[in-house]
Amino acid sequence: MKTITLTPKKFSSIALEFEELTPDDVYNWNKEDFEKYQVPIGNSRFPLTNYFDIEVEGSAEGPQDVKMILDGDMGRVKYIGLGMTDGEIIVNGDADLHVGAEMEGGSITVNGNAESYAGREMKGGILTIMGNTKEYCGTSYIGEWRGMTGGIINVHGNAGKQVADCMSGGEIYIDGNCDILAGIHMTKGYIEIAGDVTRWPAGQMKNGTVVIKGKLNNLLEGFEPEGIISNPEINGKQFQGKYIKYKGDIGVNGKGNLWLNADKNRSLL
Amino acid sequence: MEYVLKNGIVYDPTNNINGEKKDIMIKDDKIVDNVSSEAKIIDVTNKIVMAAGVDVHSHIAGPKLCLGRLYRPEDSRRGVKAKTDVTRAESGFSIPSCPATGYRYSKMGYGTVTEAAVPPLEAKHTHEEIMAIPNIDVSPLTLFGNNWFVLQFAKEGNIEDIAAFVSSWLKISKGYGMKVVNPCGSEAWGWGGNVHGIDDPAPYWDVTGREVIRGLTQANEMLGLNHSIHIHPNDLGHPGNFQTTINSMDCVKDIKKNSDVTRNQTLHCTHLQFHSYGGTSWRDFNSGAEPVADYINKNPHVTCDIGQVTLDETTTMTADAPMEYDLYKLTGLKWANKDIELETASGLIPVIYSGKSPVSSLQWAIGLELFLMVDNPWQVVLTTDSPNAGPFIRYPRIISWLMSNERRMEMIENREVHKWVEQRSALTTLDREYDFNDIATVTRSAPAKILGMDDRGHLGVGANADVAVYDIEPDNFDPSKAANASIVEKAFGNALYTIKDGRILVKDGEIVKVVPSKHLWSNVEGYESEEQRILNKIMPQFNKYYSVKFENYLVQDHYINPSVEYKINAGK
Repeated sequence: MKTITLTPKKFSSIALEFEELTPDDVYNWNKEDFEKYQVPIGNSRFPLTNYFDIEVEGSAEGPQDVKMILDGDMGRVKYIGLGMTDGEIIVNGDADLHVGAEMEGGSITVNGNAESYAGREMKGGILTIMGNTKEYCGTSYIGEWRGMTGGIINVHGNAGKQVADCMSGGEIYIDGNCDILAGIHMTKGYIEIAGDVTRWPAGQMKNGTVVIKGKLNNLLEGFEPEGIISNPEINGKQFQGKYIKYKGDIGVNGKGNLWLNADKNRSLL
Repeated sequence: MEYVLKNGIVYDPTNNINGEKKDIMIKDDKIVDNVSSEAKIIDVTNKIVMAAGVDVHSHIAGPKLCLGRLYRPEDSRRGVKAKTDVTRAESGFSIPSCPATGYRYSKMGYGTVTEAAVPPLEAKHTHEEIMAIPNIDVSPLTLFGNNWFVLQFAKEGNIEDIAAFVSSWLKISKGYGMKVVNPCGSEAWGWGGNVHGIDDPAPYWDVTGREVIRGLTQANEMLGLNHSIHIHPNDLGHPGNFQTTINSMDCVKDIKKNSDVTRNQTLHCTHLQFHSYGGTSWRDFNSGAEPVADYINKNPHVTCDIGQVTLDETTTMTADAPMEYDLYKLTGLKWANKDIELETASGLIPVIYSGKSPVSSLQWAIGLELFLMVDNPWQVVLTTDSPNAGPFIRYPRIISWLMSNERRMEMIENREVHKWVEQRSALTTLDREYDFNDIATVTRSAPAKILGMDDRGHLGVGANADVAVYDIEPDNFDPSKAANASIVEKAFGNALYTIKDGRILVKDGEIVKVVPSKHLWSNVEGYESEEQRILNKIMPQFNKYYSVKFENYLVQDHYINPSVEYKINAGK
């Protein structure tokens, strides 16, 4: 087991980019390798040691043996864990854009808030965000029509707009509230939102499942009610209480499932 | 500056030099036959030496490209490369950033590229983008096939007016030659329709593709432009369209070529692959390459480029807007559309050509069939209609396919392509292989000849000092072996040297120098009074229908610096 600890010592208002510092890249690095490394910042590179105190303990045979602790505010560090296949990253603070993007395995825990694009195009692994996240969590890249295909994202706080745009696999759990257009263009996969939702979940969804346990302010016209079901089993899990089941989005001939908590959404009954 | 490229194996089909060991001498920006003792010797012993490549048809600058970059940010992240001491940062795969376009062509040993479709209204934008593309000379072709004035004059059969209009509009747009896209079809798109075949009239104008193609060809030969009419025929990408293609080529057969031009053709048919389809629907889609190639073999008034499908995820962009809509309906991905006022329309969608897909695979085979079935390599140019059938950076891969039947068969046997290839095309029966001389013909000599650019595409004395050296020793290398295909691809994709106007721009596959690109344009002289007459005649309509003032429509000289002006002596 190898523990790599990066403790911030200097803040950069221009974001650092950590795409070359995943467990896959650094499992065989020793302290000297980190001290030699120049990290991309804007259009240049600077020594990583300008910004972090670095400690490396133990050894690793592969990324699976790596635990990286980013011990502080990473609010201006982008691409943490980009495309990682194994190992563990713990962020003891906030994370900037694209944390866990294109991740294929392993786990990332952000003990703070995450900026937009957390878990973008994720293929596998587990991304846990203890705080809130902003827009485009678990979506496709901008313009891309192929989104998240696997893995699990847990957001313990709130999520912003367009969660899981073009999702075609994997699971997203949001404990807090969620802004507009969660699950837009979704073709497969599962989204569970424990809190309230502002508007228009699952727009143009072709397939997949969205469950909203809180109150929804505004439902899209493309969803047709299929009935009220007590204690439904959704995605292999028993839910307590009554849920309204919708099918849609009929605007794109969709066969997706949208479940709304009936008690919280009495106006729709 | 003087250079001697020493002991290279030279392929220069224009001057009948086929793989001879020979020195190439350069003084300043020209090829010469002797240099002083001061000349710098560059040892290229036994390596392939050719004139720098000339591309006859590629979409590299203009509003479509910008729209593509805006609309496909997911493409921009492919091909990202950091800046170096010499180059700027690069991005993009099918629609590269402007600097990347120049670097990548330069690395392949190309020196001249034709931007294939410039609406005059957007010509300023095109020239601005050319200013941002380094290292290649760019000859923009101005669109005329759906222009309201051309439609009007063609309807009247008024060739003099078409000629005067073209002459004037080439000056206005600083264009090199005439491009025609889906004549009458893009105009019909203004009514939400399309035309089918060359005898289907455009709505309102009641004029047919045949009349437009003939009118523009007659005008082209009347003016004596360096390049012939450059046509993207009707019915692109529709099963069964090969007959329309043959009709389009045949309808100008009787028009006499201007006696003073150096080209042989009166019509250049572009991305022929998209126009050589048999069958009646995608279900019974099959190859129509044979009748089309047969027609070209019998008719020297026609040349073509292929638009070879490269089996990549790419972007299609064309002034053939109704076709793009059909394609969008087929793929269900995203679609952008644009109307260019009195001139044309355009459309753009992402496309995935996959070897697993029967249709893509057959398109791949039809392109190769055309390459192998057209007997005279001087009538064929290697293109991918970049980025429509694939990005231009795949040219070296196409070269490797053309040079090795074994590699083609390997792709079929390994199921890198769908079985429709052997079931619905004749590709497996064609064992012809291009040699290096044929490759030099279809990538340099023929396109330069077809474009009427006598100053490039060859290594004769007086030619521009545009030279490419590739890291292959042809005397002890067998490009027909499938195992060597990747070596061919690598060598033609990373020139040992690319020299442009006597300056070394690429060395060992890396950009070492960046120079501004020149704008190549045709200036018709001796037609000024006719041009003034036509301007006076059309100005009322111009002022009524265009959204811009004429003064803002013109491409001023500072948009084309540096430039090469090809003087055309009208009606010589």
